[in-house]
Amino acid sequence: MNFLSKIFTWWNGATIGTMLAAWRGFEHVGTDAQGNKYYRSKKKTGDGRERRWVIYEGSNDASRVPSEWHGWLHGLGEDVPESFLPPARIWETDYTPNATGTDTRYLPQGALEKGGHRARATGDYEAWSPDA
Amino acid sequence: MLADKDRIFTNLYGFQDWGLKAAQARGDWDDTKSLIARGHDAIIEEIKTSGLRGRGGAGFPTGLKWSFMPKESKDGRPSFLVINADESEPGSCKDREIIRHDPHKLIEGALVAGYAMRARAAYIYIRGEYIREAEVLQKAIDEAYDAGLIGKNAAKSGYDFDVFLHRGAGAYICGEETAMIESLEGKKGQPRLKPPFPAGAGLYGCPTTVNNVESIAVVPTILRRGGEWFAGFGREGNAGTKLFQISGHVEKPCVVEEEMSIPFKDLIEKHCGGITGGWDNLLAVIPGGSSVPLVPAEQIMDCPMDFDGLKEVGSGLGTAAVIVMDKSTDIVRAISRISYFYKHESCGQCTPCREGTGWMWRVMERLRVGQSSREEIDMLYEVTKQVEGHTICALGDAAAWPIQGLLKHFRPELERRIDEHAEFTKEAAE
Amino acid sequence: MPNVTVDGTEIEVPEGATVLQACELAGKEIPRFCYHERLSIAGNCRMCLVEVKPGPPKPQASCALPATEGQEIRTDSEMVKKAREGVMEFLLINHPLDCPICDQGGECDLQDQAMAYGRGYTRYDENKRAVTEKYMGPLIKTIMTRCIHCTRCVRFSEEVAGVDEIGALYRGENMQITTYLEQAAEHELSANVIDLCPVGALTSRPYAYEARPWELKKTLSIDVSDAMGSNITLCSRGREVLRVLPRINDEVNEEWITDKARYQVDGLQRRRLDKVFLRKRGKLVEGSWDEAFKAIAKAKPGKSIAAIAGDMVDCETMFAAKALVKASGSDLVESRQTGMDYPTGNLAAVNFNTSFAEIENADAVLIVGSNLRTEAALLNVRIRKAVKRGAKVFVVGPEWETTYPAEFLGDDVSVLGKLPKAVTDAFKDAERPALILGAGGLAAGAYDSALGLVETLGLVKDGWNGFNVVHTAAARMGALMLGFAQDGGIADIAKAKPKLVLALGADEVDWEPFADSLKVYIGHHGDKGAHAADIILPAASYAEKPGSYVNTEGRVQFADKAVFAPGDAREDWTILRALADALKVKVGFDNFAQLRAAMTEEVPALAVEGLADYGSLPKTGKAAKAEGKIAYPIADFYLTNPIARASTTMQRCSAELIHGEDVREAAE
Repeated sequence: MNFLSKIFTWWNGATIGTMLAAWRGFEHVGTDAQGNKYYRSKKKTGDGRERRWVIYEGSNDASRVPSEWHGWLHGLGEDVPESFLPPARIWETDYTPNATGTDTRYLPQGALEKGGHRARATGDYEAWSPDA
Repeated sequence: MLADKDRIFTNLYGFQDWGLKAAQARGDWDDTKSLIARGHDAIIEEIKTSGLRGRGGAGFPTGLKWSFMPKESKDGRPSFLVINADESEPGSCKDREIIRHDPHKLIEGALVAGYAMRARAAYIYIRGEYIREAEVLQKAIDEAYDAGLIGKNAAKSGYDFDVFLHRGAGAYICGEETAMIESLEGKKGQPRLKPPFPAGAGLYGCPTTVNNVESIAVVPTILRRGGEWFAGFGREGNAGTKLFQISGHVEKPCVVEEEMSIPFKDLIEKHCGGITGGWDNLLAVIPGGSSVPLVPAEQIMDCPMDFDGLKEVGSGLGTAAVIVMDKSTDIVRAISRISYFYKHESCGQCTPCREGTGWMWRVMERLRVGQSSREEIDMLYEVTKQVEGHTICALGDAAAWPIQGLLKHFRPELERRIDEHAEFTKEAAE
Repeated sequence: MPNVTVDGTEIEVPEGATVLQACELAGKEIPRFCYHERLSIAGNCRMCLVEVKPGPPKPQASCALPATEGQEIRTDSEMVKKAREGVMEFLLINHPLDCPICDQGGECDLQDQAMAYGRGYTRYDENKRAVTEKYMGPLIKTIMTRCIHCTRCVRFSEEVAGVDEIGALYRGENMQITTYLEQAAEHELSANVIDLCPVGALTSRPYAYEARPWELKKTLSIDVSDAMGSNITLCSRGREVLRVLPRINDEVNEEWITDKARYQVDGLQRRRLDKVFLRKRGKLVEGSWDEAFKAIAKAKPGKSIAAIAGDMVDCETMFAAKALVKASGSDLVESRQTGMDYPTGNLAAVNFNTSFAEIENADAVLIVGSNLRTEAALLNVRIRKAVKRGAKVFVVGPEWETTYPAEFLGDDVSVLGKLPKAVTDAFKDAERPALILGAGGLAAGAYDSALGLVETLGLVKDGWNGFNVVHTAAARMGALMLGFAQDGGIADIAKAKPKLVLALGADEVDWEPFADSLKVYIGHHGDKGAHAADIILPAASYAEKPGSYVNTEGRVQFADKAVFAPGDAREDWTILRALADALKVKVGFDNFAQLRAAMTEEVPALAVEGLADYGSLPKTGKAAKAEGKIAYPIADFYLTNPIARASTTMQRCSAELIHGEDVREAAE
């Protein structure tokens, strides 16, 4: 990622302003499996809460935050999620971001990309073929 | 009390033989030819004079009924007489006595009545369960045929008349006149719509009159002794003698021929030896077979046993099947059982009767053990009102009336059971 | 004409009317379940109770009570309201509340009347009754728990269909409606009980769970499965016709239709021709319209062109084809596919002159070579009515199961020359005698001898024409009116050896003599015709095009278009119009309106809906002697046309009801 694109794009990682703010008043807490970095403010707000941030590694897509860090971002726990969550079970699958718009998206029965096989619907007809 | 000389059914108890010889000795088939020689209208007039009312339950004047039959056939259709021997009303057992001990009275009556209404033949529809009775009646009919009393030139009167016996299959509803006609035609026994009345289009579409066994069996005697004689018994409008069938909690249950309008107390005292446990022990009486409302003890005591007298106490004479219940009776259970009978015997044609009889019985069964509420008593009453008078035949009415009688006279008893049950379940819950 | 008072307004009602009819005349709605105009009165549902004075002080069933002079009828009193609520409560206590999964929902009498006349709550605390399912065949689905015992179905099969198949078992609240020994209801009109059933006890099995009535588009149409021209409503959703319902027309089908008319529509979704096919090296392969037209033009038919119309085409298609043939300079058109060659010069001699409504009044009927139950089941219903009024029926032809007493005179046409005395006597005394000549008779050559009987039996009287021909094809009378016939039948066309033969949905033709012709099949189903064709042009079925049809009594009727034809298929006349361009001839119309205008100009009778006038019967001398065994044209009632043959429902009916296969679904 070169410097210019860092200045002019806002859809990948933090903007210049956020990065500056992060340097000044953020404390890095942890990094998830995808490399997203999580920060919290060094100073508490007026009512005694601390503010928490994520700076994405790659595209700014909120669904890329895994569930344990999602909880942390919303005020769950003091320290990194591993410190208060039970260890992952073997049957737990890895967290996947929202697939909408990607190749891995859900396709219903009968979608052309899936071969177009679907249940019978009104107006369907069976064409004659001379071989029949 | 009816004098022995005035009895019509002289072999009611079977002390003598039922056969033709013995019957002739008792006066049956005595110069039937001369009875017929009086002519159609004279016979009908005589019956009108006698004031005979139908003995099957509804009490329609018999002479009047016969006069509805066409005087002559305009389109070649014959007329028929159908005799209703499908005696299935719980409590009734009079036709059975007539058929098994005095069948020739019925057959002679069929001929005379059939002649009066210009019928070609008589069909006797006998209840399926009356197996021995059907055998006796068939033998009696054969005897009468062999003696030339019926058939071609019946009793040498110059009139052709046949008598057929048809055995039912045990359905109560086939005692209803139009259902009986349907059943005779070989169809499912279901009452027909009226109009057309059977006198216009009945059996096989021909003019038909349906009469009870007793109504027909008394006809020859009335003609021999005169309508005036018959009218001399009983009160105005309730003339004649009648077979009473007393069952239940009396010392000696019996079938007895007695004058109409005899007070209830006299009837029981003279013929049945009183109520079990004395008159104070009497709870209620169903005076006319299961289809009429019950009458509590205090109202029935001095009530004249006839059509109008019993109507005044909110009941009816019906077939004069008097069911006596003393204080040991579970009256709710008794009515519930009657209710089950009607549920079982409803033909299923009309909606209110088909659905209502089952509903009423189920509520009655719960009321029997008090598993109900006071509001449900009112609901049950409303349901009976919804059935009554909304059906083709009178079975709906017959199913509603016993329950209405119960609700009218024994509501406190029902409420007591409901409260008791509520108390019991409350205790059990605690 | 008695005068009665209904709710205070005095009206005059016709003699013999019932109180219910009097109330209807006065504009009062009377709820009912068991009462039906075309069935006998049962009077058992008790829903139509009204208060009548003079009379007993209880409500009376108005459907069975004759209206008499001076009656005071009240339909709005408290007593009537309570009686209706009471009956409705009784009906509902044992009726399952499964409306959400009931196919009758939305067109259910019980639903509607419960809303209008019932209470809004229940007082019934006991268990509801459940009734085991009954099997009534491949067309009728039963959920007998919903039955309210109105006995309409029983009365229909007994009185109208004349088949004692449905009846009631047991009594009281255990009463059940069922077929005899739970066999399938086995007659041509069985599915009409589905329309009659006021609740969802008898519903349509093929249509089960398909659609709700309010989703359907209703199109007025004419049935083409036989020549009766039954009036029907096509109920469609999207591009599919989902079901067919009868339309009331007392002149034609009253309120009934045959099972074939009702259930062949699922054949419209199968074996459809939706692409152009051309035969290349002996094999049919897909092609385009352009290719097809070029191939036809390449054949250079010139004057050597012929058209053969099938059994289900409309008049407009036939006219367009005839115009094309005529413009090319030929006159080879024929509609009698199976090779019949009776004279068509006088249309009255090939028409059902008495009319369906009038045949009910006939008092002597001679049926020559027609199994009416399969060829015209609704006409059979009319004859049954006539028999009930005292008509005598004689049949010439092989024996079939009539629904009324009928005497069979033998299966050879020669019987007509020496009719037994019983027949001649019956016709001598008859005031309204009728002869019905069927397709079997026509094929056996009975045309002349039957026409000869007009004189002998005195069939034509003042105001009465008793000479009738029953066709089996919906297109036949229209074709004959358009002159779509040759003197020698289809043999004449074969003799002319045309270079190009247009087969308009013709599936019953023997194509052998046409081996050298270019056969162009214009139709909607891949059936015998398509297999024999060299070029297939996909066209529209009766549901997919507007068109007029003439039924066997000469009644011109117009059908609307319900849905669009599938794929590349086009309405027939547009294909013929395009073909005219390809063959470089002028047919004189560019749109449907012009086509109809041209057609009605040529045959003005086709412009007006109603009975066409064909004049009087031809004069004939002494009846010609004819001989020949009669054979009925329909072997399998359920599979008579390409649509029915494609329909799974009809195939199942045929397998189960005609061939006796046990295809009952296990444990359904």
